[in-house]
Amino acid sequence: MASADLIFCSRYPFTKQAKDYVSESGLELTSTLVEKAEARVNNALVTGKVKRVAELPDAREEELAIYAGARMIVSSANNRYIISRYAVAEAKRAGEYLAGDDAANNGHVELVASEFGVRFEKKGKDYLVPLSAYLPFTPRSMDYKLTNRELENGFVLVSRHERIRMMEEAVKKKIEGSLPIRAQFSEDITEAGKRMLALIPKLEVATVSVGQENYPPCIKKMLEDLALSINLPHTARVALGIYLVSAGVTTDKIVDYFRHAPDFSEKTTRYQVEHLRSHKYNMPSCSTMDSYGVCIADCRCGTPLRYRDAINGARLRRLAAEKKE
Amino acid sequence: MDEQPTDAPHHSVRTLEEEFLHKKFSSHYSQSRINVLRPESREFGFGGWEKKIEFRHIRVKNESELRSRLVSEAPLYISHSVAYYEFPDARPMVKKNWLSADLVFDLDAEGHTCGKFTCQHCMEKVKGEAHQLIEEFLLPDFGFSKNELSINFSGSRGYHVHVRSEAVAQLDREARREIADYVTGTGLLFDRLFWKEGKKFFGPKTADGGFGGKFARAFVKRLDNDEFALSISRKLKKPEEREKLRASIQTGNWDNIGIANREEKLAEKFAQMRLTLAGRIDANVTADTSKLIRMADSIHGGSGFAAKSVDSLDAFEPMKDAPIFNEGEQKVKITEAVPALTIRDHSFGPFVPGATATLPMACAVYLLCKKAATLA
Repeated sequence: MASADLIFCSRYPFTKQAKDYVSESGLELTSTLVEKAEARVNNALVTGKVKRVAELPDAREEELAIYAGARMIVSSANNRYIISRYAVAEAKRAGEYLAGDDAANNGHVELVASEFGVRFEKKGKDYLVPLSAYLPFTPRSMDYKLTNRELENGFVLVSRHERIRMMEEAVKKKIEGSLPIRAQFSEDITEAGKRMLALIPKLEVATVSVGQENYPPCIKKMLEDLALSINLPHTARVALGIYLVSAGVTTDKIVDYFRHAPDFSEKTTRYQVEHLRSHKYNMPSCSTMDSYGVCIADCRCGTPLRYRDAINGARLRRLAAEKKE
Repeated sequence: MDEQPTDAPHHSVRTLEEEFLHKKFSSHYSQSRINVLRPESREFGFGGWEKKIEFRHIRVKNESELRSRLVSEAPLYISHSVAYYEFPDARPMVKKNWLSADLVFDLDAEGHTCGKFTCQHCMEKVKGEAHQLIEEFLLPDFGFSKNELSINFSGSRGYHVHVRSEAVAQLDREARREIADYVTGTGLLFDRLFWKEGKKFFGPKTADGGFGGKFARAFVKRLDNDEFALSISRKLKKPEEREKLRASIQTGNWDNIGIANREEKLAEKFAQMRLTLAGRIDANVTADTSKLIRMADSIHGGSGFAAKSVDSLDAFEPMKDAPIFNEGEQKVKITEAVPALTIRDHSFGPFVPGATATLPMACAVYLLCKKAATLA
């Protein structure tokens, strides 16, 4: 393979070209490389970044092997928080290279874009991107809100910088979606994976409170998603809020649950929870929850509120009675 | 509470009116064609006298099975998912394995509600909004082609616009919410359309895409109107001043006139221009990737009208073209006050409760469906 291609692969190890390169060259994952792979994941989890290394000719192949090793370690740890945070860090690294390659105008940016099936068409200083790529690959923020964009004939106008930012988002989604790899890993990989699990901030797992084991699966899943900064649709948030209010959880505590939401705002959340509380909204039924796409089990309890009773209501009531005494 | 049997046939006791309508509907389905794209991949929902969707998670193997179920069960309401699934009858929803979905827009006269009965004025308004959705958003902004759109009357007071396009089939809820927000102008930051550079004031050009361009074009066009022009500035009384402003907006320079309270005034004009469909489409319907929506050309059990596919919005007249039971007459007893109405050129009413009337079938079916009359 030409060295120009190898540069591309080492900068963008998630591309098809890079994968082909790895499978053709039969790179070996030595113990030194596993150590470096662990350092890569460690860095991603602790600092939120993957360090770029000097691109010496020898280091390029090594980068590819290290990336493969890092993916194995993340897969072996198999934890949503680790996967998300690692994907974000890798995406940032790719974004930095993309910004540099964009200035160098060496065709790398177009090649990465084609990896996602996206073509950006140059228009003056800016680019036109099809709506079908714009919507999935832009962050949900006021800056990218479609309403405030120039939309014409199915294309959205984006700046040079926004184009790179979109690709970063695409890289993040791609890596997140491709993990974990299901495979048997060698011992040094699984050991490294265990060490990574220890790096998860305590806060992330500390949201479990007494009584939460009695929450229905859909509610548990939503709390879990929130803790992992996975975005919940508005309807799901409302349902979760109503449930928690009905379950007697304090507003402070509910606001805490939402603290990890990607778009968290203390003021808004507090206002909305208080609003739910004062208006005494009805809990959506199980079939409504299902239509929101948040039902994940077939509990057949009619409404999430009845789950506790259905599963272990009697025990709970006894416990509550004991507590009062 | 909402535990619905998935697929059970309906055997509860029916009222005489319900029975009458079921027979009518059944005979209609036995004679009419069904036209649903990929019925085998859709979830169907059937409804009855009490609820528009009583049974859901229904799967049919093909068009002929669907048709035979419609003939034998004659549900008062028939909906299908906007989504295509691998297993349309699986539960919970995640097990259906979502493949893709049409993008739909639900326009309803509910916004300009004037009661339970159909009002000509409201119907015209919704039709105008459907027109605006298609001509000002779906075709020019979103770039859909006409053959990717299908429009049908809802069977009651609104219209549904279905978009079947590769460009949107895979979009998730959040992406669809962005589309609905765009059409309704939700989250529009008017200040962002305009900016200052030193003392100069720049804004959208008439050739721009998005709401900026829409505003610039509408603004330039309305300068023809004296009242509008003078409400901007007295200076615009002179035609040459208007021409100057027009030319300058073409290039994005909005500074050519000394408008007092410029930003507020422009924002106020923007609001008056009704460039968005705020409050006119139901954003939740568009965002819902598993929504059940009225099957085109099925009968709406709340009116007895067909949810008719519409080729030309301009030519479509719901009260003329949508009624389907056009043969015979039926005597009914009025149970609640009915205003004067016209269905298929037959004017009837107003009626007071207790009155009886022999009406053309479409009118009688309409009143029975509205639960405003009983058989007599």
